[in-house]
Amino acid sequence: MSLDVIARPGGSAASHARPMSEPLRGWRAMVGFVLRRNWLRLSVWTLALVAMIPLVFESQRAAFPTPADRQAYAAVANTPTVAALTGVPYAADTLGGILVIKIWMTIAVALAFAASFLITRNGRAEEEEGRTELLRSSVLGLHAYTVAGYLVIGTFVVAVGALIALVATAVGLPAAGSVPLGGSFAGVGLFFVGVSAVVGQLASTSRSANAMAAVAIAVAFILRAVGDLNGSGDQAGWISWLSPIGWAQHMRPFGENLWWPLALLIGGGVALCWLALALEGRRDVGAGLVPDRPGPSYAGRFVSSPFGLALRLERASLAGWFAAALAMAVLYGSVAIAMADLIGSNSPLAAMLGIEAAAVMDTMLALLVMLVALVAAAFAVQSAIQLRTEEATGRAELQLSGGISRSGWAAQRLALPALGSGLILAVGGFVMGAAYGVARGDASPAYELAGAALAYWPGILVTIGVVIVAIGFVPRLAIALSWAWFALMAILSVFGELFSLPRWLIDHTPITATPRLPAADLALWPLILLSVIAVLLWAVGLRRFAIRDLQPGA
Amino acid sequence: MSASPAAIEIVGLHKSFGRHVALNGLDLCVEAGQIAGFLGPNGSGKSTTIKILLALLRADGGRIRLLGQDPWSDAVALHRRIAYVPGDVSLWPNLTGGQAIGIVSRLRGGLRRERLAALLERFELDPTKKARAYSKGNRQKVALVAALASDAELLILDEPTSGLDPLMEATFEACIRELKADGRSVLLSSHIFAEVENLCDTVTIIRQGRTVESGTLADLRHLHRTTISVELAGPIDDLAAVPGVHDLVIDGRHCTFTASDPELNGILAELSRRQATGLVASPPSLEDLFLRHYAAPDDVPAAARVPVR
Ligand SMILES: Nc1ncnc2c1ncn2[C@@H]1O[C@H](COP(=O)(O)OP(=O)(O)OP(=O)(O)O)[C@@H](O)[C@H]1O
Ligand SMILES: [Mg+2]
Repeated sequence: MSLDVIARPGGSAASHARPMSEPLRGWRAMVGFVLRRNWLRLSVWTLALVAMIPLVFESQRAAFPTPADRQAYAAVANTPTVAALTGVPYAADTLGGILVIKIWMTIAVALAFAASFLITRNGRAEEEEGRTELLRSSVLGLHAYTVAGYLVIGTFVVAVGALIALVATAVGLPAAGSVPLGGSFAGVGLFFVGVSAVVGQLASTSRSANAMAAVAIAVAFILRAVGDLNGSGDQAGWISWLSPIGWAQHMRPFGENLWWPLALLIGGGVALCWLALALEGRRDVGAGLVPDRPGPSYAGRFVSSPFGLALRLERASLAGWFAAALAMAVLYGSVAIAMADLIGSNSPLAAMLGIEAAAVMDTMLALLVMLVALVAAAFAVQSAIQLRTEEATGRAELQLSGGISRSGWAAQRLALPALGSGLILAVGGFVMGAAYGVARGDASPAYELAGAALAYWPGILVTIGVVIVAIGFVPRLAIALSWAWFALMAILSVFGELFSLPRWLIDHTPITATPRLPAADLALWPLILLSVIAVLLWAVGLRRFAIRDLQPGA
Repeated sequence: MSASPAAIEIVGLHKSFGRHVALNGLDLCVEAGQIAGFLGPNGSGKSTTIKILLALLRADGGRIRLLGQDPWSDAVALHRRIAYVPGDVSLWPNLTGGQAIGIVSRLRGGLRRERLAALLERFELDPTKKARAYSKGNRQKVALVAALASDAELLILDEPTSGLDPLMEATFEACIRELKADGRSVLLSSHIFAEVENLCDTVTIIRQGRTVESGTLADLRHLHRTTISVELAGPIDDLAAVPGVHDLVIDGRHCTFTASDPELNGILAELSRRQATGLVASPPSLEDLFLRHYAAPDDVPAAARVPVR
């Protein structure tokens, strides 16, 4: 990492002594520094997000080529599933409206995550590693580095919005809707720049900062989901106004094209950044606002075992993923019955699909169970790559210089993602079934859906196996590859059909190869095959990890 | 002759990272009960050697015995008898220093709690603080205290004092002397000459992955020249012709030169013949000796190597 920008002429002991007098001194140089450190990430995020628009637009134009097709779609588009997952459909008889239904929520949530991760990376993570200390001890003003981070990431989300507006216009959508479309994304991004700026001041580690931001995004998502489910006609219920994502939805690009909700988003984002700077002025470098209290002076027997240590280190993240799975299970489980009623009475949909309401219900439950499986898989990937994190930081060397074999140590660490994901599946499925069963007055769905979710376990063990093989063979790329692998799996299983990707590709990920219970029949051979592949991947990856050089360093 | 095997015995160790050759025929020997200094310029391969000893890296070639066993295939059993302090200690930011000590020690097979308490006091380390609040020196102390509190027969320390203040450095030296009195062995990689001079029985100097010098401190001194500074009343100009006189500088009646040990007797006789007054002889400082090797070109004469006894 290059720190040459801080060695500018004019840095003197005098300016060092009064950093408070010019809190922004040096911010311009810091903007350059942040850009240099992040240009690749910023470009990849921008490309990935903007590219969604033409991809989805083309696939939808192919799916609904004539106005008559779109009219037919609009008649059946307003289902609770769509409302809960992506918002109340409006203008569903236009290509713009269909684009919003299909991809708006995904881009908005992804951009919120991107903004949060990037703010944390340039704020709390830097501070955690002690680099901020180095920067601030030079000629920089107190807020220069922080403000530079906000400016760069803020510009990034605005640029994503602007590019989306341009691309949407370029593919032939009306500019009057494309511009508010871009604006709504930029607005969500700016608001979550503010949110992550504040949590970056409150948390004392980058991991907890990211976790807090993720919780904020999840809460915003759930509030608007409840609002969208309780709407009437093509209008969302009032609860949606409690969520910043809801504000952006209320801009209704390609519908009413309202601009004023954007003011709420921008105002909120700026106010939160302001608050974050005020907090930064009141605390020491490296500390969170909540001071550390003294902890134990020795380690208990359980924490000292690699499994116990993994559990201790990842308990917050495990709890977070668990909470996400449970919230999803309760929310969707309890609305499932309402959805089923609606689908039952909404005969055009059932008629169009040519199936009975019960089968529609099962299809929907199967989709929801798969989403729980994706949450469990995300936890499994995040937990499994901790093996590489321990190695990269050099902490693995400290442990492996003790009396434990490498494969034994790694297997114990990996027991957490394996068992934890199983637990998330079982409990998530059970709670979803219970919530659905309560609504229906019947306990059996709880067990049925717990089983349906557990069917994904072999697939998740394969997912972990891929991570282990990456750590074994290409340790320096393992973390990036593992997340790319997870993203590929999630995209193929959720959006594979939307993007009209080839069938053989869609059907052969560990998640999609699993029978989609309860809609599909329970076939055992895919589960057996996945288990065999999992055993092979684990064995090969662990073996390689045990015999190669340890490679600390990023 | 001691019956117990050497603590460390390395012959002709090779290790490459891709095309980069890090170790190129390195030799190192540490007898049981000895404190061995391990020196060399940055990037010369000290940490690489140490990590091979701990099976964190795999050797490409050479013969290694660690406490009489193979460091790779007998790693788990060996590690219960060895304590390691890495050069760059990284801890879990959210755990306390005490927890880190506990985790490392338990993996190694336990430690003496009362010894740990005494060491924490001597090193003025607060074990209840979260590791993210520790300075570099304090992080190092965590690993050091865990190693010193163990019952390990062999301690492998990679620049253990690079972050310590002078007071803590003195404490460290005292602790190492106590270990030696207990009959335990230490491999100490260091850039601090005084530390090595104060503590070590033998020294190995490496350069570019190869051993260029090793032996006891006395042996090494013996190989090198004493600096002599003297006033002569008698003839001075032909001094350069005296066998064993090097680097002669004459300033009036005063002259300075270096003399190799074997010729010292003859030189002293010559000097007294020339009516020497005010003679000062200084032994080669360890620092001179090291610096000569650090700065030397590749081909340090093999003759300068002394086998460890
Ligand atoms: N994992 C690795 N990959 C590639 N090269 C490496 C790796 N580890 C060490 N090296 C190289 O091997 C050489 C020896 O490094 P080593 O860390 O052993 O030196 P050292 O003697 O401990 O130096 P220092 O005094 O700076 O600690 C260096 O040139 C280093 O760049
Ligand atoms: Mg080193």
